[in-house]
Amino acid sequence: MVYIASWDDFLEKSVQLFRSDPEKTRYSMKYRHCDGKLVLKVTDDKECIKFKTDQAQDAKKMEKFNNIFFTLMARGPEADISEVGGKEQAEAQPVKKGRGRKQ
Amino acid sequence: MEGFGNSALFFHKQSALLNSHTQYTEMVRLQPDPFLNELTNMFERTTEKGSVWVTLKHSSDKSKVKINKMKTAGEKIEYKCLVRATDGKKTISTMVGQKDHSRFQSSYATILKTRMTALKKRERKDRRKTADSDKKQEPKKPSSAAKPSN
Repeated sequence: MVYIASWDDFLEKSVQLFRSDPEKTRYSMKYRHCDGKLVLKVTDDKECIKFKTDQAQDAKKMEKFNNIFFTLMARGPEADISEVGGKEQAEAQPVKKGRGRKQ
Repeated sequence: MEGFGNSALFFHKQSALLNSHTQYTEMVRLQPDPFLNELTNMFERTTEKGSVWVTLKHSSDKSKVKINKMKTAGEKIEYKCLVRATDGKKTISTMVGQKDHSRFQSSYATILKTRMTALKKRERKDRRKTADSDKKQEPKKPSSAAKPSN
């Protein structure tokens, strides 16, 4: 069991782990309200990686992570996740630009 | 051979029946929407103490034997996303397929957003955080916002 400090590493390794063994890999999240803690875990029972946080901003990252894993698991390991992962950024940018360009 | 196979199946059914009486940590299979409602309840029950686990798995929801049979017969096995949730006492599960996963995941995201309010906004806003957790002592406050959007 390894806690990974970097979010991007965790995301990359999780997807890798799932794609290498889709039938055995599971993704769990544990939320403890009274302590304000959130733990994400991905394992195939051989390797186990975890990400721990108490920050609200990481919950947003988790939302993206959930989208990726719902897509992978419901559509299959070959599913294209570039759209799911990039969707949020694509949505966020026009909002920013819209403000500046409005005339 | 066939007779033997049938009796084995019958025995299996019977033991399944017996097991249902001792429903200790029984897995309850629900449709996606009731699952989300029950998940919301789980989050509400665990605000004072306890945790909620949600697990996602790529699954065909079939036994290994069945999978092997289908594989040798050359049948296509349909995989879905198995979602399980537990608070340590009760376990619920649902299957989310290709067609309904985007709807499910947006409702799920809404639930998480409204329930995961104990996380820190920013490291420096410590004072605000204590004020927030005081408010949370009163139960049933955000009950209307808690329901999924569908």
